[in-house]
Amino acid sequence: MKLSLNWINDYVALPENMDLKKLAYDLTMSTVEVEDVHLLAENFQNMIVGVVQEVLPHQNADKLRICKTDIGGECKEIVCGGSNLTAGMKVVVACPGAVVRWHGEGEPVVIKNAKLRGVESFGMICASSEIGLSDLFPAESEAEITDLSAFDVPAGTPLAEALDFNDVILEIDNKSMTNRPDLWGHYGIAREIAALYDLPLKPFTPFDHSGIPEMHVSVEDTERCPRYIGAEIENLSVKPSPYQMQNRIWKVGMRPINALVDITNYVMLATGQPTHAFDADHIKDHIVVRRAGEQEELLLLNDKKLTLSSDDLVIADTESAVGLAGVMGGAKDSVLPETNKVILEVANFQSAGIRRTALRYENRTEASSRYEKAIDPERCEQALSMAMQLFREIYPELNITAFCDQYPVKLVQQEIDVPLQWLEHRLGKSFSQESLTTLLGKLGFSVSFQENIMHVVVPTWRSTGDISIKDDIMEEVARMYGYENFSGEKITTSFTGAINQLEIDLERKIKEYLAFRCGMQEVFTYPWMQDSYVEAILGNTEKMLAISTPPSPDERFIRSSLLPNLVKAVVENLRYFNEFSIFECARVFFNQNYTSVYDPSEKLPEQKKHIGGAFTSDNKNLPSLFRQAKGILEQMSRYTHMETLMLKQVEKPSWADETIWMNIFRNDQKIGDFALLSRKIALSLGIKTNAVLLFELDQEQLKPFTSRTNTFTHLPKYPLMDYDLSMLVDTSVKWEDIQALILSKKTKGGLLQDVSFVEEYKGKQVPNGKKSVTVRLVIGSLEKTLTSQEIESCAAGVIKLLHKKLNAELRS
Amino acid sequence: MKKKLEELLHEGKEKILSADTESTLQEVKASLLGKQGSLTEIMKEMPKLDKSERPEIGRIVNEIKTKLIAQIEQQREKLILKASEVSPDFDVTVPGIMPSGGGLHPITQMCYDLNDAFRSLGFEIYEEEDITSELYAFDKLNFPQNHPARESMDTYWLEGHDTGATNEKLCLRPHLTGGSVRYMQTHKPPYRFVYPGRVYRNETTDARHERAFFQYEALIVDKNIDFASGKIMLQSVLSKVFGREVPVRMRIGFFPFVEPGFEIDMGCLVCGGKGCSVCKNVGWIEIMPGGTPHPNVLRSAGLNPDEFTGFYVNIGLDRLVMMRYGVDDVRLFHSADLRFLQQFK
Repeated sequence: MKLSLNWINDYVALPENMDLKKLAYDLTMSTVEVEDVHLLAENFQNMIVGVVQEVLPHQNADKLRICKTDIGGECKEIVCGGSNLTAGMKVVVACPGAVVRWHGEGEPVVIKNAKLRGVESFGMICASSEIGLSDLFPAESEAEITDLSAFDVPAGTPLAEALDFNDVILEIDNKSMTNRPDLWGHYGIAREIAALYDLPLKPFTPFDHSGIPEMHVSVEDTERCPRYIGAEIENLSVKPSPYQMQNRIWKVGMRPINALVDITNYVMLATGQPTHAFDADHIKDHIVVRRAGEQEELLLLNDKKLTLSSDDLVIADTESAVGLAGVMGGAKDSVLPETNKVILEVANFQSAGIRRTALRYENRTEASSRYEKAIDPERCEQALSMAMQLFREIYPELNITAFCDQYPVKLVQQEIDVPLQWLEHRLGKSFSQESLTTLLGKLGFSVSFQENIMHVVVPTWRSTGDISIKDDIMEEVARMYGYENFSGEKITTSFTGAINQLEIDLERKIKEYLAFRCGMQEVFTYPWMQDSYVEAILGNTEKMLAISTPPSPDERFIRSSLLPNLVKAVVENLRYFNEFSIFECARVFFNQNYTSVYDPSEKLPEQKKHIGGAFTSDNKNLPSLFRQAKGILEQMSRYTHMETLMLKQVEKPSWADETIWMNIFRNDQKIGDFALLSRKIALSLGIKTNAVLLFELDQEQLKPFTSRTNTFTHLPKYPLMDYDLSMLVDTSVKWEDIQALILSKKTKGGLLQDVSFVEEYKGKQVPNGKKSVTVRLVIGSLEKTLTSQEIESCAAGVIKLLHKKLNAELRS
Repeated sequence: MKKKLEELLHEGKEKILSADTESTLQEVKASLLGKQGSLTEIMKEMPKLDKSERPEIGRIVNEIKTKLIAQIEQQREKLILKASEVSPDFDVTVPGIMPSGGGLHPITQMCYDLNDAFRSLGFEIYEEEDITSELYAFDKLNFPQNHPARESMDTYWLEGHDTGATNEKLCLRPHLTGGSVRYMQTHKPPYRFVYPGRVYRNETTDARHERAFFQYEALIVDKNIDFASGKIMLQSVLSKVFGREVPVRMRIGFFPFVEPGFEIDMGCLVCGGKGCSVCKNVGWIEIMPGGTPHPNVLRSAGLNPDEFTGFYVNIGLDRLVMMRYGVDDVRLFHSADLRFLQQFK
């Protein structure tokens, strides 16, 4: 919302030397967030009023003229393409240095002296759009120059002065006052400023309607329309409003229309109370405020044709609806050029209903957005008083022929008891009764004390929901005193047990293991998945949950697996990288196993934390990529101190390659998968020469140890020897079998201590159908240093066994 | 003979001194004292000498041998002192091999920094699931029935769960605050916990708006907390995270679940509060709402608001990270773009 400081000054006399920065700061700290403080005149620097003396043709251009223009004691030649230039006309001259926009579009341009088709021009004569004034001085055509002849100012007057732009515009963040219906107008902010700086606030004189005949209005739904003030005014005409009114309306962001409409807008901008003027001649019999009939039709003044619902409140005559109450007038009752008699409506409507209606037809207006914040009905009187005064000023000859004020149930002012001890406790500071009376009194609260209880009567404009409990009063005291003026104590606490959150810590250990030890990059992806990835990787959507209003039509499903989005991340990163590994830790969702944990009436679907990862490299490096990824999974439990994970082949994931796939187990429970993305799926997603290995596991099935689990073994007293064996075996022989076989030779007190895998080779050096496997035996004794004979004999035993069981041949 | 020996000693010394590497020194040693070395050759002539001369010459030979050996050892030490394993052309400006390139997401990094700071003050870490009901997302947080945030244009409701009573309507959580109520319902006061997580809003995205982003809530509930104390706590946490004094200010703000409510700003770290484009020239950056939990929120957690009060903040993690590094597009956080993520080691 924009506010004019001059306008605020009408209601509270601000000090002449007001520090604007401080004003913005104080309002921001205590009332509303001031986003910007703008000196309006700055937009019009180096612009002056010029008087055209003579309009001469331009030798080299049909559409251009040369205007000899008086710019205040000096006559300059200005080249201009305006269609309405005449001698004697007052115009806006943008002198060198002024900032304009060509034809009101594009980037701002700084005016310089320039030659136009060979003729030197001193700046330019402007159309309203070029200087941002098209709403204030609408032009009929693009070439129409703004005519300021009506302004009684001499040539050379700075434009800002001539047009009364020496004003400060405050821009308030609307979000910061959604809870304060009283602030949606200049008077409300003036009230806060008066309170902050202890200045007097100008009161309104109530409108005296004595002697005016009663107007017949039938309010059928007093709950939705608690108050309706109507005044029938005749002897009016449609004409422009006075410039000062237009100027103010424009400055705060609305468009001046004509005096009748401008008065209603001006009153709303001043008081925050919307008002409406109907053409009285279009009202049949009298005004009826009622619910709309189902399917009732209404044409709004913006030409939107609505089919109404019985939840909508309409303003009607005895024939049909003429307006959508609190939202927008209808086409039928709108002010037309020939209008000379209006019904002025100053009404109060229930906020929730207005909000529903405005939302239903996507037709939020300045009026509806104010009504939906819950305006107090007492404010109708302020608005009425101001409107009537303006009508009388602009139409001195008017007659008020009828009046009504239907206000059957008066607003009840909130009354709140605040125990002083509680207040002191919560604020961490004690206030005297006098200072509380002053602090709250400035905001319109009346305060009395009974023993240790402060009794507060809330002003009407804060009684519509804004202030209702003692905590609200505490906030008023604190903000008026100034939040920065509370010192605060350091928080102390009693010593309790050390924080011990094993699952939380495990997640961090795993993430740090994957990132720092395994070189994987953590990524975040959205919970929703793209259909094409869901289809390619998961296929079945049966157990998935979906969003009603998804981010895009092909992103309805939210993830039941991390893999689709991880693969998408792989595809997207393959544009820039060929070899990388990523992981994500996030929640997945299933449309099943609904449970109530916190509230018996609430049933939440199954939601689990998963960890997923993806590794990719060129296809030809797949064997080493596989071992690298597998190693990360095999070692994870060791490094993060949790129960061991096992990899074995039990059930092939649907998306996996025929051969490279394993399941991840903890004890006998399958908790995840690790596999190569099948060639078919990879190709369908445009992954051509890269292999993608994926893993995903259920984080909630991981069991952290309560402490570190490293064990210590004594260092060997006698040397242990590494003994490498390279052998040829059939390609079908698995490492697991070789390992098991060798370890079967290990006995207590025996010389064979351990065996490990060194490498595997298939290729030219070995015959078809065979592979070379190198293993490393660890041979040694706990009692003595072995002789080479003893070592050889131990190795020979292993070789013999391998030959016998696996037909292994030692390579020379 | 004597003369020969003296010459040998002289030449030998010179050769030794001119040896400039250990290997040439070794060659020199062999040429002097080796099996075919000059001294050995001279020694072979010993039998030809007169018997009476032999002891004298023998002594001189030994003397020369000792001298040469000493000289060689001296030279060797000198050479070792200034020796290099490699040729002087070895290029030390060649870059090192990078350690493995992994890393945590910058949001996770910030979250862990905050966790460490809050845990050092005795806060627990809490997590809630992402799907919640309208009951917990709004009702229990004192949101009025007609609050706009409840609409589908703001919140992602789930298909098949988007109508009915508020305990039946399910959504991706629009904020974390409902989780605080869950925590309080299942734990005994006093409370001191933080609560990081991802939240979801149905929004049109641009450089400053995202549909999924991260919040970090901290809540203390106890019998003796006033709101100004919360400011001190927050200031000390942010100062630890950012490694320098961070000014904090609390100004009026309205949120249904707190009373009084604050907008909490921190001094702009980019300009140090002088005003710059990051802070729109005000020197302060709005990073979180906060305040005292509304009595209705405490009630829905089963606490008596006349007995308990507290201090609550909800830090916008994305915004904090954006300011920490000058990131100018919030959408990068969910992009999974390694070109972006790998910058945060």
